[in-house]
Amino acid sequence: MSEHTNASPLMNRIAAGCLLALSLAYGIGGAVIEYAFSSDPLGPRVFPIALAAILGALCLTYLRYPGFSEEFPKGSLLLRIVAALVILVFSVAVFEPLGFLASMFILTVGNGVVFGASWKIAIIGAAGQCLLWWFIFSWLLEVYLPIGDVFG
Amino acid sequence: MSFDYLWQGFAVALTWQNLLIGFVGCFIGTMVGALPAIGPINGIALLMPIAYTMGLPPESTMILLTAVYCGAEYGGRISSILLNVPGDAGAVMTAVDGYPMAKQGRAGEALAISGLSSFVGGIMGSVGLAIFAPVLASLAIGFGPAEYFVLMVFAFATLGSMVGSQPVKTLIGCTLGLMLATVGLDATSGAYRFTFGEPELSDGLEFVVLVIGLFSISEALIILEQQGRGFTMIRELGRMTARWSDIVKSTGATLRASVIGFIIGILPGTGASVSSAISYTLEKRFSDTEGTFGKGDVRGLAAPEAANNATACGAFVPMLTLGVPGSGTTAVMLGALMLYNIQPGPMLMVERPEIVGGLVASMFIGNFILLALNLPMVNIFARVLTVPNWLLVPGILVLSVVGVYSTNASAFSLWLMLLIGIIGWLLRKAGFDMAPIILGFVLGEVMEINLRNALAISGGDISILFQSTISNILWICAAAVALLPIYLARRSKKRQKMLISTGS
Repeated sequence: MSEHTNASPLMNRIAAGCLLALSLAYGIGGAVIEYAFSSDPLGPRVFPIALAAILGALCLTYLRYPGFSEEFPKGSLLLRIVAALVILVFSVAVFEPLGFLASMFILTVGNGVVFGASWKIAIIGAAGQCLLWWFIFSWLLEVYLPIGDVFG
Repeated sequence: MSFDYLWQGFAVALTWQNLLIGFVGCFIGTMVGALPAIGPINGIALLMPIAYTMGLPPESTMILLTAVYCGAEYGGRISSILLNVPGDAGAVMTAVDGYPMAKQGRAGEALAISGLSSFVGGIMGSVGLAIFAPVLASLAIGFGPAEYFVLMVFAFATLGSMVGSQPVKTLIGCTLGLMLATVGLDATSGAYRFTFGEPELSDGLEFVVLVIGLFSISEALIILEQQGRGFTMIRELGRMTARWSDIVKSTGATLRASVIGFIIGILPGTGASVSSAISYTLEKRFSDTEGTFGKGDVRGLAAPEAANNATACGAFVPMLTLGVPGSGTTAVMLGALMLYNIQPGPMLMVERPEIVGGLVASMFIGNFILLALNLPMVNIFARVLTVPNWLLVPGILVLSVVGVYSTNASAFSLWLMLLIGIIGWLLRKAGFDMAPIILGFVLGEVMEINLRNALAISGGDISILFQSTISNILWICAAAVALLPIYLARRSKKRQKMLISTGS
């Protein structure tokens, strides 16, 4: 469970600003929806425009009363989070080209190390996990998992 | 009142396949609940696409997910008592008296008492569900599009005022969910909305992608952040059975909390975290004459555990009969029904009684299975707490990738899952809860359809939303629920100022 603090007022302002920009973009996007005919008097534009207005109003209230936020990670913790994300993105990028086993091996080794395991333990753990999941999903439950384009 | 649907449900739930599925669900649910890292909503989010891809029929999927949900409410107490870290949101209050009991060498007794209270809460909740579901379904048959729209307004008003400590952020979350629900092809006009020319978005955003992105990917990053915190686990459990005197002492608290928990569960959007807090607070006010709450009082332990299990059952009442989830977790389960193209509502009991009846029957059976698992086998579940994060979290990520990819074998869905996960993590850093987004998403399409149908019937006259008695009652309830907390907070501030100024 995370602690709620007021540690990052800037975080709240950035979030409110981004959400306000989103409400504007969404409202404009809703207003330009093209359609030939609608069988109901409201049409496909009104609901999105109404939601954009509601979100805009809520964001202005949010800016005025930002409430609690959590402390944004810094230093080595932020680096580890970025590392975890990079590994995740890379694993997804190679999921179809390299296949389930190779990509998930990269994912589990990389994140195992990020979460504090040594390289040796992470590699052993990853190998065992990937084979277990492959067996359970591909063999036992017959869920389709890619073998890898490079492996044909 | 006819209970034919329930007898039909027992016939479904007592097949050996569904008994096995229920047992597996109870086991997985207890483990999921015990782990501080993940809660029932995460476990259900991960299992749902896998169950669907395996080709399980909808009643079996619902039995599995319900067993996981109920099991997690049992399991959450394990890390609360042994680690002082709640296993899930509903177990936050369990630690207040559970951990002190464990420090006094009574961990085993705490686990036993809380297991028994969970059982009583679960059974009472199941009875309540069996009785109230057909009653509410028969009332809801009279609901038209206008009434359904106003019901959803009431649901969001309840959510904003009762869930979380920051109503503005809760409502922003709901609005974001509603906005995400508009992505895709609008069936009435044939217009593509917010698809950006991407064919994979023409059917809308996949529910599985949203849920796994918000609850698994973002959760993995949160776990990484919290990794540095050290926890001391109580390893000596001591006596593993509850004392008769403790059972007698906590009976009143258990029964009262079960009723409170069930009623709160019926309210749209409120879940176990709300009910356990309210039941603990009320029980403390009612029973704590000697100031023992917070120091290892069995009543303080029994009340939230009974409440959170009763809430889990109560949350199904509006979900099954009205299509409005009673909690964040039932919102995910509503999404599971949508995967099978099943629309919950009053007609579900008539058209698919095996789903409703099977679910209710499996709750009764499941509570007995959970009692049998949790009393003698709690040592085994406690060992789950020793699984290191470097093994657990990559496993969760692998399951997330498999879960999303298995629905339509699309790499685009994986990218979307990642993007949603990162945005979800950033929103959590800013203090947002994820459950309102899911609630907004599952209700969004239905809310818009009902509004447009109502206005189509009235020829564009908005007064149709204020014409029927049911609609007007719901508008009044929505206003009361939204404004009452503001009024009570102001009154409390005035009283405090008065007390300070008179020197009390």
